Amino acid sequence: MTGLSADVLVIGGGATGAGVAWDCALRGYDTVLVDRGDLAEGTSGRFHGLLHSGGRYVVKDPSAAHECVVENAIVRRVAADAIEDTGGLFVTPPGDDPAYGDRFLAGSAEAGMPVEEITPAAALAREPRLNPGLQRAFAVADASVDVWKLVWGLARGASEHGARVLPYHRVLALRRSGDAVTGARVRNELSGEELEIETGFTLNASGAWAAEIAGMAGVEGVHVAPGKGIMIAMNHRLVNTVINRCVMPTDGDILVPIRTVSVIGTTDIRSAHPDDLPVTQAEVDAMLDDGERLVPGFREARAMRVWAGVRPLFEDKKTGDTDSTRDVSRSHALLDHAERDGITGFLTITGGKLTTYRLMAQDTVDAMVAQRGDDRPGTTASTVLPGSSEGKHYTLGTRLRDREAHLDDDQIVCECELIGRRRLEDTMRARGTRNLDDLRRSLRLGMGPCQGGFCMYRATGLLHGIGRLDGPEAVGSLRFFLQERWKGVWPILYGDQLRQARLDDWIFQGLLDVEHLPGDDAGLPPGPDTVPDAEAAVT
Amino acid sequence: MSHDAIDVGTGVAGLTAAVRLAEGGARVLVLAKGVGSTHLTGATIDVLGNPYMGSDPFNVGEAIARLPADHPYARVGGAPAVAAALDWLRAQVADGPLEGYEYAGGLERNRLLPTAVGALKPTAMAPVTMLGGEGRDPVAVVGFRQLKDFHPALVADNLARAGIAARSIELDVAVEGRADANAQALARHFDDPAARGAVAGQLAGRMRAGERVGLPAVLGLRDPARVWRELEHRLGRPVFEIPTLPPSAPGMRLYAILRAALRRLGGRVILGAAVTGPLGAGARLDGVRAAVGRREVVHRAGEVILATGGFAAGGLVLDSRWAGREAALGLPLAGMPAAGEPRFTAGYFDEQPMARAGVAVDGELRPVGRDGAPAHANVRVVGASLAGAAPWREKSGDGISLSSGHRAAELILGAAARPAVAA
Repeated sequence: MTGLSADVLVIGGGATGAGVAWDCALRGYDTVLVDRGDLAEGTSGRFHGLLHSGGRYVVKDPSAAHECVVENAIVRRVAADAIEDTGGLFVTPPGDDPAYGDRFLAGSAEAGMPVEEITPAAALAREPRLNPGLQRAFAVADASVDVWKLVWGLARGASEHGARVLPYHRVLALRRSGDAVTGARVRNELSGEELEIETGFTLNASGAWAAEIAGMAGVEGVHVAPGKGIMIAMNHRLVNTVINRCVMPTDGDILVPIRTVSVIGTTDIRSAHPDDLPVTQAEVDAMLDDGERLVPGFREARAMRVWAGVRPLFEDKKTGDTDSTRDVSRSHALLDHAERDGITGFLTITGGKLTTYRLMAQDTVDAMVAQRGDDRPGTTASTVLPGSSEGKHYTLGTRLRDREAHLDDDQIVCECELIGRRRLEDTMRARGTRNLDDLRRSLRLGMGPCQGGFCMYRATGLLHGIGRLDGPEAVGSLRFFLQERWKGVWPILYGDQLRQARLDDWIFQGLLDVEHLPGDDAGLPPGPDTVPDAEAAVT
Repeated sequence: MSHDAIDVGTGVAGLTAAVRLAEGGARVLVLAKGVGSTHLTGATIDVLGNPYMGSDPFNVGEAIARLPADHPYARVGGAPAVAAALDWLRAQVADGPLEGYEYAGGLERNRLLPTAVGALKPTAMAPVTMLGGEGRDPVAVVGFRQLKDFHPALVADNLARAGIAARSIELDVAVEGRADANAQALARHFDDPAARGAVAGQLAGRMRAGERVGLPAVLGLRDPARVWRELEHRLGRPVFEIPTLPPSAPGMRLYAILRAALRRLGGRVILGAAVTGPLGAGARLDGVRAAVGRREVVHRAGEVILATGGFAAGGLVLDSRWAGREAALGLPLAGMPAAGEPRFTAGYFDEQPMARAGVAVDGELRPVGRDGAPAHANVRVVGASLAGAAPWREKSGDGISLSSGHRAAELILGAAARPAVAA
């Protein structure tokens, strides 16, 4: 077993954990970040992509709304490259109470959120697909955020300041020395190698999994309610502005244009465990009906993919158990285990939302600094992340412009997401990965309408070609990816996406026969070799 | 103007039916939204590979005989009918406009031919340009850096795992000055004698004794047999093609062959015509209605062959409320899970509950209602629209399309030849 030592160990590679690592590194702490999987593979990578204006909370929780207002402005500045400045509209479709709009305006004033009521005609001119019967519309400062760009930007920034970022490192145990947490034993999930990490401080930023990690430190009574939210990506930008239903927060009340797609969300269903988030056909159906209310014809549009994320909603005993998680606070919870449990060197940050990741990180590191008795103020509100130094926001045409400049000298591997061969091979080498799904998160590979139908064979060939994988491993990775894609496709498979899926089957099964390759199938999804009893089936 | 028969669709099933009918003397009209799915296929005729495979290679005819009664192969008349269709296609290709280009094979045994990932896929019949892929002699798999749809090292590595000595060679070819060339662009490149001569020149010094040469299926569109023979001659060893991702050069050749036959036989083809519904109702349809742009056009015929494909081609559709139907004539689908039952399951490689959904037909390929009686006496359904098969899993799609298209035409021609006893 090998060992590492550092000032701080951060557990969790979502936006919060990466934000914490960035904050620590900027304050000069020697930092190690671990995640059991890839960066932003959990809740951060499974949301709709909204950078809140605050409008969603102005009526119910003006102070949470105010946090959003402040953080929205900061994130736009420090992570400009990850943001598309779509703007947002809160609209009152037919059937909803227009009087809620008055409460919305009052709440906005209280929260200090800039808002402008515009006429329904102006809203329709801006977004022609909106329900033509809409009664009121309010323009706000919503934006969409590419969470992988954000989280990798944070990780890169942290690394440039000396942090060691270790995805695919699972925490097996936390070490205690008396009342202090002094480190962790982690396992490299790719190599199987175990690693002892010795630290002065451990920051638990594992979100929906925070109770599990806290339990390893011997802390009891941390409850994080997993609130399941499903989201459906439609294959077009049905709208170019974030569209919110102007009502008390409910299911299917938001449509976010992000990159080449638009994402509708979400639901809020108590789930048993954050790793078990099945999507039901009934949930999909309800979400499609919600979409129809915002944008008529929604059901005729092409649903490309569905997924579920899990909100980490911190719960203490006072609220008790209730079936609805929507009423549990969305503001974050910072647990100082020295005060709460008499355990030093250990803090848990959970709850919250992506928009306030930076504030959550800052609060956490401030608490650590205080406990250590240091004097190191945070600077994340004013330090721009790598990649955002020009202060330019992402625009939809960016990749196309880059592609057109290189049509003659760089192959295009993924037509849907306009990913060139050079960039893909560079990323394969830089990440040193054997997993096509890692490349998806880094580059959006396979996330477009064909869901990998064409690019996955190519990417497999390239990954094999640069020597990352041997033949059977390459095909294993391809099969794994096909299974991963299928997971998000089959519950919404109808219309043109079914057509696409059948074409993909045609390619992978009919043309390539990927399911019957010779060689080493260890660790691969079970093959289809269960032979039906044809004799018995003859009638 | 009325035709003897209308065929809807220009894939293998539709073109086969149309050509065979025209050959039999029928006046045929082909309506289609566009060029069919031939351009997507590897153009091998996979009749049955899985999951009824006992051992490989195996006798395909015997495997067909063991299929359930609602399988399309049982509906077309079993192995003899499939064999007749293979014979017919072999003759069409041999007599076609691509000189020396032939199909070979049959139901006696499956041949295991390498795919673009290096799997060995069972196929009953294939172009002669691919047959050299069979066997266990050493192979040099050759690819082109410009063709991202074929990765020779991956093919070679997986062939090696199957016990075939294989290595890869990657060449550079200048195609239109672009970094990218798909299979179609490369095939056009190979149509040029100088260009293919240059490829042969690059390879000639790099071959090892006893080695075959596997290339992506890009050996020309105009005269593939000549390109292939020239390469074999220049390199002094067997050369074979391996199908790539779409667009498929061998698929385009197959389309060109059948299209030329139809033209020669006086068949008429209208592309850009989407059939929107039946003309008339009841026991016999009068023809079909079709949309050409925004205009609706009516086409009359004595017989209608529906060859619009499955869900991949848009011949079958499933709406967002999970109701399925056949798109052109609105025929009901058999094999659909009941309301509330899952249509798909979580395992990608598992057989999906609605995998075999399609139009149910009687023994004369006429669509049947719930009672099992034909809904229309003069409509035949062929190809991927048929219920009862899971084509890509089974490796049966091409064989079903070919044999059902052929069989539908034979049934119509046979009925016309019989003396009319009932008016």
